[in-house]
Amino acid sequence: MIEFQNASYAHNKGYGLNNLNMSIDEGEFTFLIGPTGSGKTTLMRLIYFDIIPDSGIVKINGFSSPGITQKKIAMARQSIGMVFQDYKLLKDRNLFDNVALPLHVLGFKSSEIPDRVDEALDLVGLEGKEGHYPYELSGGEQQRASLARAIIKEPDVLLADEPTGNLDPVSSFELVRLLETIHETGTTILMASHNYNLIKGRGRQILELKNGQLRIR
Amino acid sequence: MDKFFYLITEGVKNVWRHKVTAFTAMFSLFVALYIVGVLATAGNNAHKILYYLRSKYKIEVFFKQDVSNEQAVGIIHKIKKIEGIRSATIIEKEDAIRIFKDQFGENIEELLGYNPLPASAVINIERNRRDQLVIETMIKEIRKIKQVDEIRYQGNLINKIERNFKKMMDYFPYASIVIILISILIIYNTIKLSVYSRRDLIETLQLIGASRTFIKFPFVIEGVLIGAISAILVAPALLFSVNAMNYVISRFSSFNIKISYDPMILFWMLVTVVLIALIGSYRAASGFLK
Ligand SMILES: Nc1ncnc2c1ncn2[C@@H]1O[C@H](COP(=O)(O)OP(=O)(O)OP(=O)(O)O)[C@@H](O)[C@H]1O
Ligand SMILES: [Mg+2]
Repeated sequence: MIEFQNASYAHNKGYGLNNLNMSIDEGEFTFLIGPTGSGKTTLMRLIYFDIIPDSGIVKINGFSSPGITQKKIAMARQSIGMVFQDYKLLKDRNLFDNVALPLHVLGFKSSEIPDRVDEALDLVGLEGKEGHYPYELSGGEQQRASLARAIIKEPDVLLADEPTGNLDPVSSFELVRLLETIHETGTTILMASHNYNLIKGRGRQILELKNGQLRIR
Repeated sequence: MDKFFYLITEGVKNVWRHKVTAFTAMFSLFVALYIVGVLATAGNNAHKILYYLRSKYKIEVFFKQDVSNEQAVGIIHKIKKIEGIRSATIIEKEDAIRIFKDQFGENIEELLGYNPLPASAVINIERNRRDQLVIETMIKEIRKIKQVDEIRYQGNLINKIERNFKKMMDYFPYASIVIILISILIIYNTIKLSVYSRRDLIETLQLIGASRTFIKFPFVIEGVLIGAISAILVAPALLFSVNAMNYVISRFSSFNIKISYDPMILFWMLVTVVLIALIGSYRAASGFLK
């Protein structure tokens, strides 16, 4: 489903990822851990083609990085759900419209949209906040809104970058449980976190990033 | 189809979501378009002032003493045929006595025992021509008629008016082009700026997998809407200004001019601004797409 072959990427200031090799099969739930600044977000960005590796290959869901066009990138992203570390909610519209956005991108019938949005908001525990604008939501709520937007289209792959960053320990635990529920419906999940305690002992594949290198635990 | 309607409503909603930016854009567009409208109306009406002034031009032709009223009528026919002359009215010898009496209170015929005043003619000039009128050519033609004794006209004044008007009309197209170009630039950049203020939206939409069309379409709708609204608002403003101007002219000046207002100006303004907004928003949105 996701594959890195000798993929390297350097930011213009030099930090980056070195010669990564890994693969995540369809239907797997994988954790990505590493200290702050180790490159977790950079790796995620490589997967959704926000950046293209300087050398090597990144593949996801049949799309492969070398020479990929903007059109293909848009198509690839349509089957990926992303929870961004900085949420990336649109400030100019309310929760409902934010969460509904991917459905409009995919061309859903407008009559189907409200039920789906309700369902997604229920799942992340944001029912009743449809009319709130992002600035009217707490950090944790914005994070869950970002998750709702990612899962509403039932993506093949869910990339969650630090989805518990703004949650208390209990809520963090519940969120991982929620991801496990989503995983059970067949979604491939990659979740980045620097909180090892949260993810240990779950019997999942754990990838560890350190100094731009990847290790499989 | 649902997507299409969604994108249109998004464009409309975006105007509302970004009221302040949209209002600022509309305001600067409005000002630019209003200036263009005033300019176009001025250009359309400038000749009216000239025609009005020309209606006041007058040439007086005095015939020789021995020219009878009947002969004068014949000469006036000849004068009327001269290029640029609209009308000529005879003042018969008897009329001249009456005019003299009105002015000096004396009946000169009774005083002298005969009428010493010649027949004459008052000539009006063809007003409705856009080019410069050179009065000397007409005067020369009239002078060729041998029964003509004396010609009186306000040559200096007429030439000054005609010369200055010509100068104005010569520069007008250039001035208009410059102002219109500036307006286009303002409109283009206003639209661009409003797109620029939302580059994070463009980025996020892209990350969600929206196609380029999906991202650009609402911006184009928004730009066109803002452009169209400002152009439509110019209509009452321009109409009001024209009426106010007409009021001022009729109330505070002796000019008998009525400024008219051509709806086609507004039509062309609407078409142009919508076109610019369309291109501007499309290109600006494209510019922020990676
Ligand atoms: N756009 C950029 N330009 C230059 N350097 C960057 C850029 N983005 C990230 N970096 C650098 O690359 C390294 C990896 O950053 P990255 O955001 O991937 O870390 P991370 O593992 O996600 O950290 P965190 O746990 O804090 O989110 C860091 O040293 C960071 O300073
Ligand atoms: Mg990060």
